[in-house]
Amino acid sequence: MTPAADVPAIEIDHLTVTYRDRPVLWDVDVHMPRGALGAIVGPNGSGKSTLLRAALGLVPTDSGRIAILGEPSTKARARVAYVPQREAVDWDFPITVREVVEMGRYREVGWFRRMRRHDREVVDEALERVGMGPFARRQIGQLSGGQRQRVFIARALAQRAELLVLDEPFAGVDVRTEHAVLELLRTLRDDEGRSIVIVHHDLETVERSFDWALLLNVRPIATGRPEEVLTPENLRRAYGAEPVGERAAAAGSWAG
Amino acid sequence: MGWLIDLLPLSHAAAVVAVGSMVLGAAAGLLGALAVLQGRSLVGDAVSHSALPGVAVAFLVTGAKDPATLLVGAAIAGVIGAIAMVGIERTQRMRPDVAIGVVLSSFFSLGVVLLTHIASTGGAEQAGLDSYLFGQAAGMVEGDVELMTWLAVGAALGLALGYRALKTSIFDREFAGSLGLPVRLLDIAVTALLVVAVVIGLQTVGAILMVAMLIVPAVVARQLTDRLSRLLPLAAATGAAVGVVGALLSIERAVPTGPVIVLVGVAAALVVLMLAPGRGIVWRAIRLARARRRERIGGVLIDLETAMHHGPPPTPEELALATARPARDVRRGLRALERAGLLARDGGRVMLNARGAAHAHQALEGRRLWSAWLEHGWRLRLPDAREPDPRDLRASIGDEAVAELAAMAAMAAMARDDGGA
Amino acid sequence: MTFSDDTIIIMTGGLVATGCALLGVFLVLRRQALLGDAVSHAVLPGIVVVFLLTGSRAPLPVIIGAAAFALLCVLAIDAIRGTGLVKSDAAIGLVFPALFALGVLGIDRYAADIHLDLDSTIYGEIAFAPFRTVEIGDALVARSVLIAGIVALVDLVLVAALWRRLKVTTFDPTFARTIGASPDWTSRVLLLAVSVTAVTAFDAVGAILVVTLLIVPAAAAYLLTDRLIGMIVIAVGIGWVAAIGGHAAAIEADASIAGSMGLVAAVCFAVALLLAPRHGLVARRLALTRRRRAAARA
Repeated sequence: MTPAADVPAIEIDHLTVTYRDRPVLWDVDVHMPRGALGAIVGPNGSGKSTLLRAALGLVPTDSGRIAILGEPSTKARARVAYVPQREAVDWDFPITVREVVEMGRYREVGWFRRMRRHDREVVDEALERVGMGPFARRQIGQLSGGQRQRVFIARALAQRAELLVLDEPFAGVDVRTEHAVLELLRTLRDDEGRSIVIVHHDLETVERSFDWALLLNVRPIATGRPEEVLTPENLRRAYGAEPVGERAAAAGSWAG
Repeated sequence: MGWLIDLLPLSHAAAVVAVGSMVLGAAAGLLGALAVLQGRSLVGDAVSHSALPGVAVAFLVTGAKDPATLLVGAAIAGVIGAIAMVGIERTQRMRPDVAIGVVLSSFFSLGVVLLTHIASTGGAEQAGLDSYLFGQAAGMVEGDVELMTWLAVGAALGLALGYRALKTSIFDREFAGSLGLPVRLLDIAVTALLVVAVVIGLQTVGAILMVAMLIVPAVVARQLTDRLSRLLPLAAATGAAVGVVGALLSIERAVPTGPVIVLVGVAAALVVLMLAPGRGIVWRAIRLARARRRERIGGVLIDLETAMHHGPPPTPEELALATARPARDVRRGLRALERAGLLARDGGRVMLNARGAAHAHQALEGRRLWSAWLEHGWRLRLPDAREPDPRDLRASIGDEAVAELAAMAAMAAMARDDGGA
Repeated sequence: MTFSDDTIIIMTGGLVATGCALLGVFLVLRRQALLGDAVSHAVLPGIVVVFLLTGSRAPLPVIIGAAAFALLCVLAIDAIRGTGLVKSDAAIGLVFPALFALGVLGIDRYAADIHLDLDSTIYGEIAFAPFRTVEIGDALVARSVLIAGIVALVDLVLVAALWRRLKVTTFDPTFARTIGASPDWTSRVLLLAVSVTAVTAFDAVGAILVVTLLIVPAAAAYLLTDRLIGMIVIAVGIGWVAAIGGHAAAIEADASIAGSMGLVAAVCFAVALLLAPRHGLVARRLALTRRRRAAARA
């Protein structure tokens, strides 16, 4: 069932998540439109990763209604590809690049059936798109940070999902990879009409390349087009002090 | 397994022990491997210590002493111990290692209390119960080996069934959750495999040493392969080999089997850690030494070339002084250059011959290329995700890219010259 | 002044528990509980080797031998982990069973000579504690009480002397390095103290009870308080409860005294796990329900 075109990619109402008695997310509303390249930004500890996890049903919530592409998050799982932060991955695990990308087909193929030719082709295509074709047989730990991230993005591609959710995909990644991945994400939006939301820390890139942004610090501060969201006023409310950078120089204001 | 036992050129009792140890080693290696990859191998230690009260309770409840009954008790206790560990970790305050330690020592204390209680109240019936503590292979009979084999086969089938799900969940827990995999349940499954492994090995190796049998095969196998699908059978094979060798050794020397198997296993692990091709420490040391030599020679080569451009051929001491390198390194480098046929000597002085000069130019070219990469590389479009290796740019990014780079560098040089003119 | 046999047994257990609690609190906080377990097992070959070399089971040489093997254990684990090819837990699970296996083989070979049977290394022989006495001046003192007391005192002095170092290296090892306090060195000293405590307690309470007394009271204390001194006091308290309660229970059940002491400690932990005011399972569940209700109301 394809949802209507005006159904948002992510719709969250009154989401509250606590950890150790403290709210990490507090009465958060999010409405991200479909077919957009969206970013969630905010200072450390603002709940960005938790928001993604809650949206996907991975953390228990205290309250809140969540809809992904018009359906409750557990039902919509098949249409979402999640690229988590790379912290908890075991790099010494005996697994090759190809095997990691194959995991993207597991939901389709199931947990017991063999990979069909179609699946293998999808995997090959995903590997090519991220430029990791020649590295298919390497063990995952032998790659650089940027190469690893490409592999996980290939896995997301292999899932053939309408919504891609990436948590800090550019952390610890070299500039070349960042540009390549951004270009890929733009192509996915433009040519394939997919929705993409990433947690990102670089406000410049967000303002330049993204359609939609959510500025978050436990509570949502602003959402909408990046230029409307990332105003000095809003940034001050989110970060406490405005981050020093070109924007600050242009606006003639100082940090703090 | 009877056919195998009869096949071996040993006494029946000895053959039983040998085959039993083989099954134990293979099972423990295979079923413990996932826990080792997860970093939870010591959960196996807690499970095996938990088995002790299970054995005691089984005896108290049924009055029977046959292995099957007692091992059921051990299994149930192992499961309870595993649940207790999970419960303790749920407080968020207790880390996994404390949870393991608490369950391990608590259940073991319970086991000790029960066993001593049985010893003081019971008569001769309870004798031999504490063989589960240190293991007692000598008492093994063919029936035991059959039981072990069936358990091992069953658990292995379960592992094969859950292979994909387990692989995904262990490698990337968050992603597995996003696919809807029940990650907590899969953790329990890995623990359940440990329980089966412990039940199989308890009689032979005993509760205290069991944990080594879970770890050794996975450690060995990991050094020999990079793929899970090969690692698991390799772990089983390693465990089997260690089991058999240890058992045979212990029989020959008439010493307890369990400790010998463990020592053989740990020795094997240490050997493999040293010598594994590619990963092993010895290999790494050799690679490091080779890399250092390469750097030294390369450095001296370029230094000598530069020196020759600035004056008469130097003596080794002069070269060391001019380049601020230790004299010993310089002399070593020069000797290596000589061996490679790149050096010519004239009295006490050294210089590069034609071949040497060619090599030096190549080396300098490499460095210039790297500078070009730093300056212009960001503009280059590479066909895939290859990354440059400063020591060999051509090999790492390919001839096409290098040609492009050289062109960019040339254009930039011309622009600079024009600008300066 | 003479003490009853029961009192001597209880005092031995309590003093061992005191020494263990002082060290165990830091092991638990430093996530080194299982290293403590490993080290306690590793002392077995030390006892055997010392006897084979010196023919005596006198405390001092045995302590030195045990400490030597404990150090070997820790260094071996560090070395294996340092290769980068083996995870920490696997390194532990390789080294201590190997050392323990050596000890078991040694005892098997020379059992008759050492008068040391395998069971007593696990169960201990605390029941015999009142009968092994030492002359001090005019009085006959139970040897186990004397040794346990000395060890507890040494542990106390050590913890007091290294107090600041222990605190800093436990809570912020990286910072500690920058001010010249090496976490590794502190860990080694801590584990050496554990090995000495373990080996002196072997005679009386056996290996497993030592491990239990190291970890379980400290873990229970960690659930009950947020303050370091509080943790130590509570852990020592639970240790004594275990000593007294365990002794009584053992008589009732006609079972190993050492095992019963461990069991009582475990029961204390279970109670703390469930009922601790902030971190206990019941309290957490209540807090979760309270939060959910509040969020639904809002």
